[in-house]
Amino acid sequence: MQTFPIQKIVEHGPGVKSFYFEQTFEALPGQFVNLWIPGVDEKPFSISCEQNGLTEISVKAYGPFTQELMKKKVGERLGLRGPFGHGFSLKENSLLIGGGIGIAPLRRLAQELSDLGMRFVSLLGAATEHELIFKSHFQEISTCYFYTDDGSFGEKGLVTEHLLQIIQDEKIEYIYAAGPEIMFVKVKELIDPLSIPYEFCMERYMKCGIGICGQCVLDDSGVRLCVEGPVLNQDDLKGVTELGKVHRNATGRRE
Amino acid sequence: MKTNFLNLQLNSPLVLASGILGLTASSMKRVVDNSCGAVTTKSFNLEARKGHPNPSIVPFEHGLLNAVGLSNPGAEEAIKEIERFKQVSDAPVFASIFGRTIDEYGKVAEIAVKAKPHLIEVNVSCPNVRSEFGTPFGDVPEDTAAITRLVKQVAGDIPVSIKLGPHGPGIARMAKVCEENGADAITAINTVGPGMLIDINVQKPVLSNKTGGVSGPAILPIAVKSVYEVYKNVSIPIIGTGGVTHWQDAVQMILAGASLVSLGTAVYYEGIDVFNKINMGIQTYLEKFGYESIEDFRGGAH
Repeated sequence: MQTFPIQKIVEHGPGVKSFYFEQTFEALPGQFVNLWIPGVDEKPFSISCEQNGLTEISVKAYGPFTQELMKKKVGERLGLRGPFGHGFSLKENSLLIGGGIGIAPLRRLAQELSDLGMRFVSLLGAATEHELIFKSHFQEISTCYFYTDDGSFGEKGLVTEHLLQIIQDEKIEYIYAAGPEIMFVKVKELIDPLSIPYEFCMERYMKCGIGICGQCVLDDSGVRLCVEGPVLNQDDLKGVTELGKVHRNATGRRE
Repeated sequence: MKTNFLNLQLNSPLVLASGILGLTASSMKRVVDNSCGAVTTKSFNLEARKGHPNPSIVPFEHGLLNAVGLSNPGAEEAIKEIERFKQVSDAPVFASIFGRTIDEYGKVAEIAVKAKPHLIEVNVSCPNVRSEFGTPFGDVPEDTAAITRLVKQVAGDIPVSIKLGPHGPGIARMAKVCEENGADAITAINTVGPGMLIDINVQKPVLSNKTGGVSGPAILPIAVKSVYEVYKNVSIPIIGTGGVTHWQDAVQMILAGASLVSLGTAVYYEGIDVFNKINMGIQTYLEKFGYESIEDFRGGAH
């Protein structure tokens, strides 16, 4: 286990922060690291940026672990190991659909696509304005569509509201999505008939991160999300019967 | 590579060890699709357990240190996965069970038999729940004898293998106790230790449980020696496990006396494809020495 002091913390708004560490993982967009809070627990997080020798991890306070993380201060040491998993492929004329903190892994993808001079469009949604993290950055490098649940920024509503129209208008040939699972279900329902290939960046409870414990295996495919995921394409997802329905908790029980 | 074991026919002498990719039917099916001969479920007991917080599995230079803490969804939920697996695969499935008390072993076995697994593996030697359970039952001859009799009583026609660790009063002696009390096979060994790794900057143990079992290449010599000693002391067959990563390791286990060879941590080093690779290696070994089956050289090192 390698541990690193927190170099910098940026607060995007209440309960949403980015933590910076002086270490790079040369991770592909979509890959993740396991973040250890000594004495607390260890959880997987995607990398939102790797630049100038710094790795950035963006987190929304959600459960006990992320609440604990919010209390951490600059200089405190956290463990990071990785990069783990299989990241996004890089395709031209793509649409990046991000929901809530799912915008974090897309930030890294957007940067990479932009650096390679590949055209993409961003479709980002969140509960409220401050949860649309990195919105000015996305605006600088792409055409953007924004949605918020409360209408505080962009259109009021969900990212799926005008999805088909946007795909048509923007001549989209590839789709990336990261966000809550209910969003994947809706997006999948809308785009499956179009035969546009896609990739979803998914989440499951993980223990080892190295493909042996079986905790994050998806029914009925046998796909280990920590190794073959967290980014899965439409073919990987064909055998996944649990999408939007059930997931396994720490005991392994379906819920 | 057809292999007979007790009343079972396997397509390979390789078994997926308990605790690795054995939580769900879909996961075990995937391992069998990669030429594994039989699969062992993750150990389960009566009630659902979360196990220890993370980090619970950490790699080091020569293996893994783990204190997953016997997380499992509880016996009733676990047997559903055995039933699902049997619907999608013909490969034998071994149910790994444990209990917090001697009586619980009997109760869990009663539930396990409902799913008709091909073997019940009795885990009496997990080294990473000492803080909760105290000394493993597998270190105490009287406890191991009682558990063996209890599970055998419940198991009926289903064969029972007792999974022993290298610690306690000596694995050969413990294996004899199991045999005398009706065990049909011995699984040797469990992870070794417990051990500990400390982060030198945080200056605290890395595992949330502080200590955990050691697996992987580091423990191969201990496993080979344990199987060798058990083979000498009992006549029931042995499932050899511990640190097997390459085909040469599996051959060593068989030469020491193992009838089947279990793999776990090897999946970390070599991927799920490790079962194919080791099968091919053993096949080449058979051809080189002109053997027809692994039975021709089993126990050959004695």
